Amino acid sequence: MELALFTAVPFCLALLLATPFVRTTLNKLSQTTLTALVFAALFAWLIGMLPRVQEAGAISQTIVWIPSAGISLSFYLDGLALLFGLIITGIGALIFFYSGFYFEDAKEHNRFIIWLAAFAGAMLAVVLSGNVLMMFIAWELTSITSFILIGFKGAEDAAARHGAFKALFVTGAGALALIVGLVMLSAAAGQILHPQQEIRFVGDFPSILQATTLHQHEWYLLFVLLILIGGFTKSAQFPFHFWLPGAMSAPTPASAYLHSATMVKAGIYLFARLSPVLYLNELWTSSLLTVGLVTMLVGAYFAVKQRDLKGLLAYSTVSKLGAIVALIGLPNQSGLKAAFVAIIAHALYKSALFLVAGTIDHATGTRSIDRLGGLRGKMPVIFWVTVISALSMAGLPFLLGFLAKETLLDAMLHYTDPWTQLVMIMVFVSTAFTAMAAYMLIYDVFLGRPRELLQIHQPSAWIGLGPALLAAGSLCLGLLLEPLLVPLLELAVPKSFELHLFVGFNDVFLLSVLILLAGFLLFLVRRSLIRHITFPLSGDTIYREFISYVEWAGTTILHAQSGFVRYYLVIILGAVAAVLILSGTLSDVVAGQQIIPPDPSVSITDLAKVFMLFLTVAAGLLTIFVREHVKAAIAYGVIGYAIGVIFLINRAPDVALVQLLVETMATVLIIIMLGRIRADARLKVINSLWTGRHDYRFGLLRDLGISIVIGLAVFVFSLNALQNRPDRHSIAEWHLANAKTVNTDDVVGAIVADFRGTDTLLEVAVFTTAALGVLTLLARGGQRRGSLAPRRAQVGVLHEFDASVVEEIQDATSLSTPFTRSVSFIVLPVAILIGVAQVLYGGSGPGDGFTAGVTIGLAVSLWYVVLGYNEAKKLLPWFRPALIVRLGLVIAIANALFPLLIGHGFMGHVEFDQALGIYDIVGSFGLHITSSLIFEVAIAIAVMGGLGIIIEAIAYPTDRSHDGFEGAVS
Amino acid sequence: MTEVLFALSIGILFGIGVFQLLRRDLIKAAIGFAILFSAINLFFVAAGAFEGDFAPYVSNVEAGRQTSDPLIQALILTAIVVSFGSFSLVLGFVNIISRRYDTVDSDDINKLKH
Repeated sequence: MELALFTAVPFCLALLLATPFVRTTLNKLSQTTLTALVFAALFAWLIGMLPRVQEAGAISQTIVWIPSAGISLSFYLDGLALLFGLIITGIGALIFFYSGFYFEDAKEHNRFIIWLAAFAGAMLAVVLSGNVLMMFIAWELTSITSFILIGFKGAEDAAARHGAFKALFVTGAGALALIVGLVMLSAAAGQILHPQQEIRFVGDFPSILQATTLHQHEWYLLFVLLILIGGFTKSAQFPFHFWLPGAMSAPTPASAYLHSATMVKAGIYLFARLSPVLYLNELWTSSLLTVGLVTMLVGAYFAVKQRDLKGLLAYSTVSKLGAIVALIGLPNQSGLKAAFVAIIAHALYKSALFLVAGTIDHATGTRSIDRLGGLRGKMPVIFWVTVISALSMAGLPFLLGFLAKETLLDAMLHYTDPWTQLVMIMVFVSTAFTAMAAYMLIYDVFLGRPRELLQIHQPSAWIGLGPALLAAGSLCLGLLLEPLLVPLLELAVPKSFELHLFVGFNDVFLLSVLILLAGFLLFLVRRSLIRHITFPLSGDTIYREFISYVEWAGTTILHAQSGFVRYYLVIILGAVAAVLILSGTLSDVVAGQQIIPPDPSVSITDLAKVFMLFLTVAAGLLTIFVREHVKAAIAYGVIGYAIGVIFLINRAPDVALVQLLVETMATVLIIIMLGRIRADARLKVINSLWTGRHDYRFGLLRDLGISIVIGLAVFVFSLNALQNRPDRHSIAEWHLANAKTVNTDDVVGAIVADFRGTDTLLEVAVFTTAALGVLTLLARGGQRRGSLAPRRAQVGVLHEFDASVVEEIQDATSLSTPFTRSVSFIVLPVAILIGVAQVLYGGSGPGDGFTAGVTIGLAVSLWYVVLGYNEAKKLLPWFRPALIVRLGLVIAIANALFPLLIGHGFMGHVEFDQALGIYDIVGSFGLHITSSLIFEVAIAIAVMGGLGIIIEAIAYPTDRSHDGFEGAVS
Repeated sequence: MTEVLFALSIGILFGIGVFQLLRRDLIKAAIGFAILFSAINLFFVAAGAFEGDFAPYVSNVEAGRQTSDPLIQALILTAIVVSFGSFSLVLGFVNIISRRYDTVDSDDINKLKH
């Protein structure tokens, strides 16, 4: 549990920072202190876990999540995770502190640290998760938060947008490969660990690490390649490295944190995590070694060419990441010790240098090496931080970076292979270039003469604290190996090792000094050298080519778009019709159809049904041919009512009641809406339905053809289904037999409120969501936007119509007469009484919560139709739909959750009257107070509110000045 | 006999709904949308596993009477509610379109491209 809580802390912190309370009451300084302290506390807690991990080897905790799918939230803290966790939390605390002084604007600062905290949580989840799927989710979360942080200034900066997209594209594509690789790996591990059992998927790291024969598995090649692609893209390895320099548009604290200390090491973490089971195969080691070395060389080579401070640091980060990957790829895991030392050393000096770059940018307004110079006197603290960190990067003796380089050289020198010499040359050249970059950072920025007069805006002195502490780490950790570093590394490195800052004047030391000197020589000739640095083809070019092809494809496809809504539908439905005909499905079904000879005996009820069916079809055809929309609406109402009568004849009283109420409601809604659409617009469309365009005959035939084919298909399908329906093999039997166990006489009510109650709960949620959708549409979408609305000249056809015709149409929807007004006043109280009765006695007769809600909603809508929005709103002050909906949903959810408290399942059946001992009292009124009853009440309330929202939204008066005609309903 | 007629009515109603959707008038298209829902509900009621002469009440079951299929009725109940919700959403769309574009003729709205 504690590991889960630990991982949740940064997420909770992000949520807390996003609350209006914190944003308004806590100022920038308090938010800075709060975040820094939280991360310092997390760091301290991890330090406190060190003895426990030393003792137990690893701490594993699991929270059951989806047991049926074998997925759980599992956490795994071993030496490796601890090492990364300490970097994430420790450097995190300093970065959060620094951010408080980096951002001038409090709002910007708040927005930044929210996302930074969310990132930190995701990153901790990556290293602490004990399950590949959970790790993958966290992995993607880091990509997304990184995207947001890179594009932090995206609103005004196009480079930030492109950089953010590029990073997301590359890491996202890599993650797609990764998830497939991880799933295959887990499946392979499952086969190895449980050869005889059904379990085919073992996703937790402790188990995967036990599958020691993974390197012989037949899928090895595939999953290793996929996992490698995932890790290489994330850790910016060649040729995917180009996104990292592009990510430098992020605010500098984010670059320091995500793009040097933590996120880009996620790939490295994954390699180190899986190395124990994968290293025995040459494919794994040689890929890591080759790609790592090439990246190391390319990064170092390009770094010195950069004129932007952050660009230089980004490429040197790429180089160092390559070195670490190469170290993990050394045979027999002999490079792991050096890799971990490098991770720590790099995190310390590189984030310090990034923060220095940010401070310089903040103070001078530029990061260009060409414009900077002579800053030593102006910023003494920053100068010394740079000296220590850059020299640690170069590997000057007795700094932490020296130790990293020593162990690196040592590991590489012991690599015996035909290619050793080439490897050593690559290492030598790239470390020399790195040393050169370090000298440039110190000399060109701080010592050399400034090339122009720089305006220095001195930031707060506190901004130097974070970088200073990081530099102190680079300075002292090398000297404090035994008490601090060695115990940690002992946990992370699987085999025993020795670590000494200085082992004597041996070949490694000699090489180290030579590299420093070579770097210095390169530094002296830097001006002429840099001019010659080019590279024929970079991943960035390929990426840009690819993106331009995607854009080209998009533009090409756009040409095929007509923009006319109706034609899209014609194409979709026409394609359906064409498939139905071409595939022969239709004729096959017709041919294979066993036509059962119609039963000649026809009963009276059948005759009634036939009549009603005839009515529906006739009314349906009428909706096509009538020339007034109101009549079409009424014809639609006839269809609804006829179907309602069919329900009644089929012995479905509940459904019939709902159908009649809902169809009434729907017809009323159509009529309300008609009153709100300009009459001339309606008239125009009616007049041009059968004439109009020059090709209208073709259009008519086309639409007719599509409808006939689809109608025919539906006919054949329904005939097939109706004649072959199963006889008496349905769960309905069980429902009939067991309805009495939930104290309900009405079996349909029992199914809706009890047996399938969760369905109903969701259905009510869908209904209220639809209501909210209507409200949002009509409240927010009504404004005419210049670009969206067509020019009036295109549709302005007013002069074509006689004013009296327009008025007549308008009047057809006006319902306010003295008679209708008094009817609506009488109807509402009666409707409320009926509604209450339906809820209370729904168990023993037709009607339930839904019909009750619709009944009351109908009565209210009558007021809106007759009196108009303003008057109805004034006369019904208690009818506040939004509140009513919330009340209904809260009751429904509380009622669904309550059984959980007393040990039943979700939405279990509870008999409150039995429990309270009032069974007989309420029973004498024919009532049963059960959870079903409360559920029905909740449904009634929610539906009433939802209907109210819909009515109010549709009846809300439009902007008269635009409409020209007064809405008839008001 | 009634099965064939039911299937025929369902097919015709479906065809009418599709035809209305394909025409230019957005108000009639909305009505056509609702007719599609009606056709589907009609299909459900005809597709019950068994029929009976009595409503599905426990009292009828205990009296040994043959009741109609309660499950299909519960399904239709849900379908009616959800289709009403989506129908009101469609009406909202038509309303907004008429306000924004000042027309209910779908051929006047050709801005989907941009």
